[in-house]
Amino acid sequence: MTIGISGYGVYIPKLRIKKEEYAKAWGSFSAAGVNEKSVMGFDEDVLTSAVKVSRRALESVPLTPDRISRFALASTSAPYVEKLLSGTILVSVGMSNTAFSSDHTTSTRAGTEAIIAGFEHVLANPGGKALVAAADAPKASMWDSIEHQLGAGAAAFVLSSDNLIAELEGHASYASEYFGERFKPRDDSLIHDINVKKFSEGSLITNTTRAGNALMKKLNRKPEEYQHVVIQQPDARVPATVGARMNFTDIQLAAGLVSKVLGDLGAASVPVALTAVLDAAKVGDRIMVISYGSGAGSDALSFKVVGERKAIPRFQAEADKKEYIDYVKYLKIKGAIL
Amino acid sequence: MAHVSIPMYWRTIPQRYKLVGQKCKKCGHINFPPKGVCKYCNVSSEFEEIQLSGSGKVHTFVLISAGGAPPEFADQEKAGGQYPVAIVELDEGPKVIGQMADVDPKEVKIGMPVKTELRRIYTEEDVIRYGFKFVPVTEGK
Repeated sequence: MTIGISGYGVYIPKLRIKKEEYAKAWGSFSAAGVNEKSVMGFDEDVLTSAVKVSRRALESVPLTPDRISRFALASTSAPYVEKLLSGTILVSVGMSNTAFSSDHTTSTRAGTEAIIAGFEHVLANPGGKALVAAADAPKASMWDSIEHQLGAGAAAFVLSSDNLIAELEGHASYASEYFGERFKPRDDSLIHDINVKKFSEGSLITNTTRAGNALMKKLNRKPEEYQHVVIQQPDARVPATVGARMNFTDIQLAAGLVSKVLGDLGAASVPVALTAVLDAAKVGDRIMVISYGSGAGSDALSFKVVGERKAIPRFQAEADKKEYIDYVKYLKIKGAIL
Repeated sequence: MAHVSIPMYWRTIPQRYKLVGQKCKKCGHINFPPKGVCKYCNVSSEFEEIQLSGSGKVHTFVLISAGGAPPEFADQEKAGGQYPVAIVELDEGPKVIGQMADVDPKEVKIGMPVKTELRRIYTEEDVIRYGFKFVPVTEGK
C-alpha cells in the first residue's frame, strides 16, 4: 500500500527578535547563522499553535476533523509535564474522542517520532487517517548560551493512503546513548546544556548520518538523487556540517533552511522545514528528512513528491508576517525575570 | 469575572474551545453563550446544539490599559501592554464578548471582520484556562 502526506499546515508566531538585540544586551549572540528568531505571544503556547496548524492541515486536503482516526502531538515545551496534551487539541479541532492519540515530548526528535507513529497507524489500518502536529517554543535560562537559538513554530501533516501530495518511500532510525547535551531533569522546566559544542556536535553527526545513510542504503539511493534535504536545525550551520558528511550540497539544503530567520524550533524544526520544502517542491522531486534529538537519536524519512497541491498560507507568507520586539519585551513575554 | 472554579470552567469547554451554541427549538434564535432558558423568547429551554463558525464583525470595543485589567489579566497587560476587548456580532447573530489578539490596539475598528482562535486566557489554580479570542481575518488565514 502506498502511504504518504495528503495535507500540511504551518504557523509561525509573528513576534521576532533580531540577533542585534542579543548583541546589545550580552555583547554577543551564540546561534550560528541565525539572523532573527520567532517568539510566541503571551497568550500562545504549544497547544494553541498545534490547534492552529491542525486546522490548516485538514483544510489543505480538505478533510473534516471527524475523519481522523489517529492523532499525535510532538513538542519539548508543552505546558504540562503530566496530563494528556492531545485532549485539548482533539476537542478544540473537533476530532473524534475515539481517535487514538499520543504525546511525544522527550526530545527534539519528537516531531519525526510522531510522524512515523502516524504512518504506522495508516499502514496498519487501510483507510485510516492520521493527523500529526509538532509545535515547540523551547525555553532555557537567559544566562545560558543555548537560550539564544530558541525560536517558536508549528507544523502539522495529514497522513493517509489516498489523495497524496508526497509518497513515503521509507524511513530508518538510529539511537544511541549520549548525555549532557540538552536535557531537562525531572524537576526543572528549563533546558540544561553542558555547552561543549564539539561533544554535542559529535552526537548529532553520529546519529543523523547513521540514520540517513541507513535509509539511503535501504532505498539504494545516492545523495544527488534528492532535490531537497531537511536536517535538524539547532542553528543555521548544523545542516551544512551534517550535509557535507553525507555529500549533500547547500543547494539541496536551501529551501528547508528555516532556522536562519526562525531559530531553533525544537521538535518542530524538521516539520516546519518540511512544509517550506513541500511549498517549493515540484512533482517528481525527492525529499530526504533527518531529525535529531539529544540523548540521542535520529529518524530519516524519504519522500517522493506526487502532487502539486500546496497549503494555504504558504510557509513564506507566515515567515514574512512579523513584528519586531526588543530584548526587554522578549524577557517579559518569556517570564525570564522572576 | 474573578474566580471561576475548575468544574465550572470545565462545563463550558464546548463553548470556549469550539463555539458550540444552541438553537432554540421554539423561536429558532441562536443563543451564545448557551443559556438555561432562551434569552429571545424567554419561554423555551429546549435547544439543539449548533456549531458556530467563529466569524463575525466588531460591534464595539474598549481598550484595557495599565491598571484597568482584572487581576487574572494583569500580567498579560504588563508584558504585552494595552489590549482590546470587543463585543463581536457573530455571523449567526449572537453578540459575544472576548479579547482581541494579534492586532495593534490602534488598528481596531468597528465593523472589522474577525474570527475566533484558541488562546490561553489566564491561569488559575495552576490550570491554564484556554478559550477563544478574536483575531483579524486579514492576519494569515
